[in-house]
Amino acid sequence: MTNNYYEFFCPVKVIAGKAALEHIPYELTGLAAKRPMIVTDKGVRAAGLLDPVIAACEESGLEIVAIYDDVPPDSSTTVVRDITKVYRKEKCDSIIAVGGGSAIDTGKAVNILVSEGGDDIAKYSGAGILKHPLKPFFVVPTTAGTGSEVTSVAVITDEKKGVKLPFTSSFLLPNAAIIDPRMTLTLPPHITAATAMDAMTHATEAFTCMAKNPLSDAYATAAVKKVSQSLLQVMDNPKDEHGRLELAQASTMAGIAFSNSMVGLVHSLGHATGAICHLPHGLCMSLYLPYVLEFNLESIREPLGELLLYLEGPEVFSATPASRRAEASISSIRKLRDALYKRCQLPRTLKETGKVLESQLEAIAEMALDDGSIMFNPREVSLEDALSVLRRAWA
Amino acid sequence: MLVKRLQPMVSHARRSYVGLMFQVMGRALQAISEVDEITRNETRALPVGFLFEMQVMPNGPKLIVEHTGNGLLHYHRDGAPRPVDLSIQFKHMTHAFLVLSFQEKTSVAFANDRMLVDGDVSLAVRMTRVLNRLESFILPKLVAERAVKEYPANLHLPEKLLSAARIYLKVATNFVETARA
Repeated sequence: MTNNYYEFFCPVKVIAGKAALEHIPYELTGLAAKRPMIVTDKGVRAAGLLDPVIAACEESGLEIVAIYDDVPPDSSTTVVRDITKVYRKEKCDSIIAVGGGSAIDTGKAVNILVSEGGDDIAKYSGAGILKHPLKPFFVVPTTAGTGSEVTSVAVITDEKKGVKLPFTSSFLLPNAAIIDPRMTLTLPPHITAATAMDAMTHATEAFTCMAKNPLSDAYATAAVKKVSQSLLQVMDNPKDEHGRLELAQASTMAGIAFSNSMVGLVHSLGHATGAICHLPHGLCMSLYLPYVLEFNLESIREPLGELLLYLEGPEVFSATPASRRAEASISSIRKLRDALYKRCQLPRTLKETGKVLESQLEAIAEMALDDGSIMFNPREVSLEDALSVLRRAWA
Repeated sequence: MLVKRLQPMVSHARRSYVGLMFQVMGRALQAISEVDEITRNETRALPVGFLFEMQVMPNGPKLIVEHTGNGLLHYHRDGAPRPVDLSIQFKHMTHAFLVLSFQEKTSVAFANDRMLVDGDVSLAVRMTRVLNRLESFILPKLVAERAVKEYPANLHLPEKLLSAARIYLKVATNFVETARA
């Protein structure tokens, strides 16, 4: 009898491709929503990314009742409370989050308050607290990396207590994720690179960590293939709509993969580095990925070898001896990072970031050991192990 | 037919085994915090008065330990004196049995969604390390390798035997004290 067991859940309707935004009015109407509110940030608005969303709704006679465009990069309980007030004052009945991870997480948190009632979002922090479906909630991602549009988690900072509040519930998942290439067309090169490498890391860790399963594997490999094939093309031609859509889909697929199979040490180190040195998450992912794969190598040789097919294609895969494929996969990722460094100076080492001190490595290692994702890393990680990975990633 | 008739006995036996293992583990957690400095280094980071619980959902057997300060843990055999701070809950008795009979590693059980964490995840990770260290000490190496993700390479036989003997002695003493009380 097999001991294998897994769970897989993703009820999010994915609406992707050309003129995807124009499907929003129909989808909202299908959920009896008539008074949507947009939650976004100033950068998204300044880039003109709200215009096609608003136009798509207005052309179908659907009025956007309220727009909150002041979500900060690190959203807080105060912001969530403020948006909730606007939502209630304007008698909205649904939320459209337009933006990156912070806007999406904020939209999820606001949806808790407007659906469950009250003003204290901290009351709903934790896993499994929510017991009922929430209001109609749509997500329009404007970066291609976080995968937040298909994850059941949100993180909001409690400013008073100085802690990050996690919220986990399948009810946080949006009703629909709208993936439209117009929304990522103007992303600057270094953000395009870092967020795509975030998606690559989600997929790679989903495929090599302990909770991998056949369904998440399918999404993870497809995501790795799309990032490998499209990222450099988009870096060379940022207006490549097809390539942009491929990266956006890769991000969503990687999000589905990792939210069902979790991630490992790359994320543990990345979360700790982000907290201590304030480096962007995607950059941390790109930076640590090859070093962690080397650390895990003997535990993940087989799946990592399989990834070569999706990283480099069938010719390279078949020409590489099976015993060397795992190493070749790591080389392929290093090669991609070198190409990104050449194009936009995306750092490959901690030293290259210019924002990390060697004296901070121990603190990063200690914090990483207590990160939840370390539970799913295929190898046990001691403080010395984490430090040795960090030293290799230093320079 | 025979299987159907035996099922209640099997369920009862599993429940009894899981309950007994929780009693042993609770006392052993208290003991290892008294004999092992590395364990105390882990548990010192817990707030004083911190209550940790492992339980089988919904109202199955449980173990509760409290951090009483300086890394020392105290096993509460009569239940929690107040609401617990961190709870790791097995979704079903079968899942608890799989882990406590070393058919499934704790880390694999987490990966397989057999357990829920209610509370601070970073402290749950820390307590899992303590549980792994305990299992590495008190179980024969062959069994411990089935229970933990990686058997510690630096844990040598003399240290293991000495620590295990001290832990088992303290567990036995605690059981005797409980029986007398």
